[in-house]
Amino acid sequence: MRFSDNFKIALEALFAHPTRTLLSLLGVIIGVFAVTALISLGEMATYGIQHSLEQVAGRSVYIQPQFKPGVESVRFDADLVKVLRVLPVRPVPYVFSSATAEDRHGQLVSLDLVGTVGDLPALDASVALARGRFFGPREARQGLPVAVINAKAESALFGNGRGLGRELVLNTSGGSRLRVLVVGVVQPAGGFFGGFEGSRVTVPYKLLWGRIPWKKGRFDMIELKVEPGVDLKEVEKRAQRLLELRYGKDRISVQSVQAFQQALSGITLGLQALLGGIGALSLLVGGIGIMNIMLVSVTERTREIGLRKALGATSAQIRTQFMIEAVMLTVAGGLIGVVLAAAVLYAAVLAVPFFEAFILSPTTVALALGVSAAVGLFFGVWPASQAAGLDPIEALRYE
Amino acid sequence: MKPIVELEEVRKVYRSGSSRREIEVRALDGVSLRIEDGEFVSIMGPSGSGKSTLLHVLGLLDRPTSGRYLLAGEDVTGLDDEAAARVRNRRIGFVFQAFFLMPRYSALKNVELPLVYRGLPEGERRLRAERALEEVGLAERMDHLPSELSGGQKQRVAIARALVQEPALLLADEPTGNLDTESGREILALFDRLHAEGKTLVVVTHEREIADRSRRILHVRDGRLVDDEVLG
Repeated sequence: MRFSDNFKIALEALFAHPTRTLLSLLGVIIGVFAVTALISLGEMATYGIQHSLEQVAGRSVYIQPQFKPGVESVRFDADLVKVLRVLPVRPVPYVFSSATAEDRHGQLVSLDLVGTVGDLPALDASVALARGRFFGPREARQGLPVAVINAKAESALFGNGRGLGRELVLNTSGGSRLRVLVVGVVQPAGGFFGGFEGSRVTVPYKLLWGRIPWKKGRFDMIELKVEPGVDLKEVEKRAQRLLELRYGKDRISVQSVQAFQQALSGITLGLQALLGGIGALSLLVGGIGIMNIMLVSVTERTREIGLRKALGATSAQIRTQFMIEAVMLTVAGGLIGVVLAAAVLYAAVLAVPFFEAFILSPTTVALALGVSAAVGLFFGVWPASQAAGLDPIEALRYE
Repeated sequence: MKPIVELEEVRKVYRSGSSRREIEVRALDGVSLRIEDGEFVSIMGPSGSGKSTLLHVLGLLDRPTSGRYLLAGEDVTGLDDEAAARVRNRRIGFVFQAFFLMPRYSALKNVELPLVYRGLPEGERRLRAERALEEVGLAERMDHLPSELSGGQKQRVAIARALVQEPALLLADEPTGNLDTESGREILALFDRLHAEGKTLVVVTHEREIADRSRRILHVRDGRLVDDEVLG
């Protein structure tokens, strides 16, 4: 018997009862849909989080003084920033503080008060101006009273789109009042972490040094923006060495986002396995459905099987015919399930901003189709053996 | 003349019932038989006489408990399932009382079916099937489904399906049993013609009128051959 004839016979049999074929497929369709959609959703969520992480902190190494009770912390000064330039990085120093200010109704709003160098958008791609300008290096060095606020602070203090050019009176944690002119508004951070952003006011670092006594001459954190093409791990190691030479062991913490990313991958991989497992369970149920319908089909076609045997079909040929029928059923179900999953995923990308990209990896598709073929093979064995084992005389007598 | 069928002391025993009170049914009880090439033989007997079992043994659908069966000189007694299927496919054509056509296949596809299992390519299958259908006078009905054919036409499709195999032995089980008199006559006329062309035919029937068309009647009773009647 030619192999292609097997497919023709199977197709004919499946199209003989289109409704039943489709209904029996439903289990497999739902199973494959679940597996594919859940795995891909997991991938899309992982991508969303990782991508956000990368946007915020992807190519950066963060250095901070290590805090130890009873020991005076290391002092990060302007000199350190210069020294760090020997590494293939752009150092961006920060002073962190907090402040309050009255909104237009006289209510106090708490704000993150950040001091940094000028022209931040040129150093940090994740900072984008919505309106106005960022203060320049000269303003930063001279500590002029200018500020760039984020959209959240703008809407809290002045109302949307009304902050630019306004004066802002800050009550600093040092107890002093600080009048600044709002010269720019930055866009809200996108991605997963955008949601965690607070109301922030960014001013020249020298301004904070001048107004908050205990901040004078020191930075709280230096972000090392790693130049493109440079290995992050390598920079991390060299920064560590350099800082140990300067300050001694265990006084500085050097961190990059990579460790966090790795931990996150582990979690999402586990999540994906769990979701995929739930999907696989429904595929199992689908497989049992296929077996059931195949057994019904064998019983119904007892006479056909008897006839085929009388005309010279061997038991092996009959078995192959039913196996192919089962596998074609499940693979067809698998295909429909994958297409359905793709449609739903695509809709999810359009509807939910958190999902930044449509991801349906070839591996997932291959896995889904491979598993559905395997389900057909596994659950087809019993019905096919029943068919192959029929006695032609009994089968022809069967009413 | 060369023998197509040689049966030597063929027995077929069915056992049924519990192991304590086992009932033994001797469906065939020592049948010896020789059918020559080109013969037209009928097998007659009341129901339960063993004539169907004899037909099944001749058609390799059933295996004798003991004895020997030579088909066209070849010993086919101990063939396993796969080998028996191959012999059925190449040497034996069946015609059943209830036609047993595939309802969703056209006449042509039905006739092609045995050749599918022979592994012939589609073009050759088609050619041979067309020729077989022409032979039974259904050249105009090739694309019809069985439901669009009369009883007599259906049986002619079934005969074409047997002929397409070019079998050494054509076995028919009550071939006119489901047909009206007129259609039955058509089928018998076709058998006459096939006989005239030199085909070897064995027909199982319980109707004397049909058996009379053959040249030799084997009477079976209680699993034995009780009479071998050669007609003029």
